[in-house]
Amino acid sequence: MTAAARPDAGLKLTGSAPYGTDLDVPGMLWAAFVPAPVAHGRLRGLDLGAARALPGVTVVGPDDLPGLLGPRERDAERPLLVPDEILYRNQPLALVAAPSLAAARAAVAAVRVDVEPLPVVADLESVFPDWPGSDAGAHPQVAAHVHARHGDLAGEFRRADRVLAETYRTASVHQVALEPHACVAEIRGSTWYVHTSTQSPFGVREDLASLLGVPEESLVVDGTWVGGGFGGKGGSFLEPYALLLARASGRPVRFALTYEEEFRLGRTTLPAVIRMETAVRDGSIRARRVRLLLDVGNSLPGRDFATGYSIGFLLGPYRTEAFEVEGYAVRTHKPPFGPHRAPFAPQCAFVVESHLDHVAREMNADPETFRLQHLWVEGSTTPMGQTVGPFGLRPAFERAMTTARSWRAALGPGQGVGIAGGFWSTGTGAGGEARLRLGPERLTVLEGEREIGSGSVLAGLTAVAAQATGIPPDRIDIVYGDTATAPFDSGVYGSRTVGALGRAIQEAAVRLRRTLAERLHGQGQAELVVREGTLVATLGSRSAPVAELLTEAERAEGGLVADGRHFAAPNHLDEDRVVAGQFYPYNDFAGSVHVAQVAVDRATGQVRVERYAAFQDIGTVVDLGSAQAQVEGAVAMGLGTALTEEAIWTDDGRLVNDGLLDYRIPTLGEVPPVDVTFVEGYAGAGPNGAKGLGEPPIIPVPAAVAIATRAACGAHVTELPLSAERVARALKLL
Amino acid sequence: MTDAAVPLTVNGHAHSVRDVPGPERLLDTLRWRLGLKGTKEGCRSGACGACVVLVDGRATLSCLTLTHDVPGAQITTIEVGPEDAAVARVRAAFAQEGALQCGYCTPGFVLTLAGLLHERGRRAAREELLEAAGGNLCRCTGYAAIVRAVERLATEDR
Repeated sequence: MTAAARPDAGLKLTGSAPYGTDLDVPGMLWAAFVPAPVAHGRLRGLDLGAARALPGVTVVGPDDLPGLLGPRERDAERPLLVPDEILYRNQPLALVAAPSLAAARAAVAAVRVDVEPLPVVADLESVFPDWPGSDAGAHPQVAAHVHARHGDLAGEFRRADRVLAETYRTASVHQVALEPHACVAEIRGSTWYVHTSTQSPFGVREDLASLLGVPEESLVVDGTWVGGGFGGKGGSFLEPYALLLARASGRPVRFALTYEEEFRLGRTTLPAVIRMETAVRDGSIRARRVRLLLDVGNSLPGRDFATGYSIGFLLGPYRTEAFEVEGYAVRTHKPPFGPHRAPFAPQCAFVVESHLDHVAREMNADPETFRLQHLWVEGSTTPMGQTVGPFGLRPAFERAMTTARSWRAALGPGQGVGIAGGFWSTGTGAGGEARLRLGPERLTVLEGEREIGSGSVLAGLTAVAAQATGIPPDRIDIVYGDTATAPFDSGVYGSRTVGALGRAIQEAAVRLRRTLAERLHGQGQAELVVREGTLVATLGSRSAPVAELLTEAERAEGGLVADGRHFAAPNHLDEDRVVAGQFYPYNDFAGSVHVAQVAVDRATGQVRVERYAAFQDIGTVVDLGSAQAQVEGAVAMGLGTALTEEAIWTDDGRLVNDGLLDYRIPTLGEVPPVDVTFVEGYAGAGPNGAKGLGEPPIIPVPAAVAIATRAACGAHVTELPLSAERVARALKLL
Repeated sequence: MTDAAVPLTVNGHAHSVRDVPGPERLLDTLRWRLGLKGTKEGCRSGACGACVVLVDGRATLSCLTLTHDVPGAQITTIEVGPEDAAVARVRAAFAQEGALQCGYCTPGFVLTLAGLLHERGRRAAREELLEAAGGNLCRCTGYAAIVRAVERLATEDR
């Protein structure tokens, strides 16, 4: 299948799409951090004098902040610059800006830093060598504690035919967007203006207001083309620093990270340890107990979303009579945890699917039939007491089983096929607004979000607008605005863009068509069609060119404006099952089932993925080309998590592999073709029943590869990634 | 030789780039002195391939090339016009197959493949093209659409 040409192909194939790294403002300065030299320590002295004395150099240290900023909400708990205690290596101590990057680096080198090193907690397992008891919530390294249970856990475990227990470990993985973080900040009169490569201009504005103590109306955030996000360009990062330097210097300031800094400072998935216990009776899962230790680096106490959200995914989409989950977010001397495409869900699916595959094998049951029998379907109750909505997971699993059977018929020695499923809660997330402007011949969709590459804005929203108005896509323009001019949206993340903004566009389109109907002296919604090259509104037997239905004022302002908004009502879970901490309800249930065929080198343990098929529960396909491309890309990214990607931290909190030669993402020769099948008809909350797609298809990948690897050679690997070394150890080659 | 002027012809236009420090990389000369930001800065260590340009027709990592090492060179960047037939062919194949998402790696892929087409007198086999592009990283597409674009390039030759 050939994808439709992307609307941005022409710009991107001629170097005409400016990204954050390309921003170039006359007179701008170049910025750099003064990085903390240790992962934990007390800052005894910071001598900025020599740097300040350099010509053309602006320096901002912690003592300069009060003079530059207003009163701030998060002053104490999230300092912009280290005031006293250093909590991770390379944490910003001070900022410099200079007329060139070389001059900025020379200024950083001129700073004298005096630090008293303190003991470093780099490794989660050094905090809790044994599983913590329920009183560990008060431990100083614990940022969050979540605990939930339901049913007769002790009884089910006592009455079980078998109890199977395993421990899994997962690695730290980085988003690796090829474009490093970059922005340019300027102070324009009383406005703090920043132009930045971001997934969420409005999210950055909200962050900046609380970080800088500047009211939102004095802040303007404008997006750029984005060279990959994957969760890493969600909230603010460099923007407050660039603005501080712009304020201090009176000049525009460019702040961009080097790729090494991207790795060292990146907020991403950190390591975890997971304990799985399953009680089985009469061939059925009766009870599950799951414990999680999740490294959250320097995340703030009590602000950890990851643990309470992720832990539900460790029960997987499987029915159980009784369960208990308990998780700890553990602080270490690393940068804060941050979102990475379906945050921590691929790791959860790896654990759940590998464990249940193991349980079935131990029970002498067919692993796939065993899992199929326990899968949620629409109407099932989740462990947290939520009713499952329309869910295509089971039909996807059945189709995957058919594919796996045909692949298995042709296998040779050392080859194996595995199936893994997973799910994600997609939907419309936090709210979004849309503004349509109907001109005489064209429709404009005004957007604050920028296209980050997935196609969700340029292809997805164009497709929704075309469907909702009847206007052909080639007469629809997406026009970007900054946060001062564009309608609000919460961001391109959480697989929500087409869902939320699509629904908002649909609402705006209804208003637009009602207004046109009134102008045709009727009721209901007018249709829009192109007749002999002219855009025409029709209502029953009446019709008129759109140009004739616009008022003088509308023609002068570019067209008839209609607004729409979509803010979803939150779902609920059974709070009686919560013992401690915060759990989060699901929205749409989006299932993904993957089939992997691998070949394992019996001498080295090297795993090669040879064939791959993905079955995706999508509700309704909005744009087939970009939908297929999302699945293909997500599978490749998941193969990195599965096989090669692992950020390695030393005991003193230093990242060992801070470059793309050492941190290995999949290359062209390592990704097999992916057969993509969409399972439609299980409607989500998006336009026409669409479900979100950006994240779900990465989720089953490490699990599918691990299960296929076990099928191929017997190696049951309980750690990610499945490096040759780990497979070789499982095969007792090492 | 530091700080001397370096003559370069970029996309057919002659430049004499003055005051180039000895350690300056071709990537930075193109982007910040000549304003050609289409050449992308990724890892600056030769791993990602986002910065590939053609130097005298050969695909070259501009982040690992010193500007002073290529005086008088003919440089081709992603901004080149349709007169470069190899670049035009690769562009057409990428557009037809939708072989890009965020687009940050795209200039490097296009020039890497165009470089091979230049070297091979515009004919190259699928395997050669894939091997050439195998050193460029893409995080968005999973390479699937890029491989389809390469297959289009290889078959339209026959």
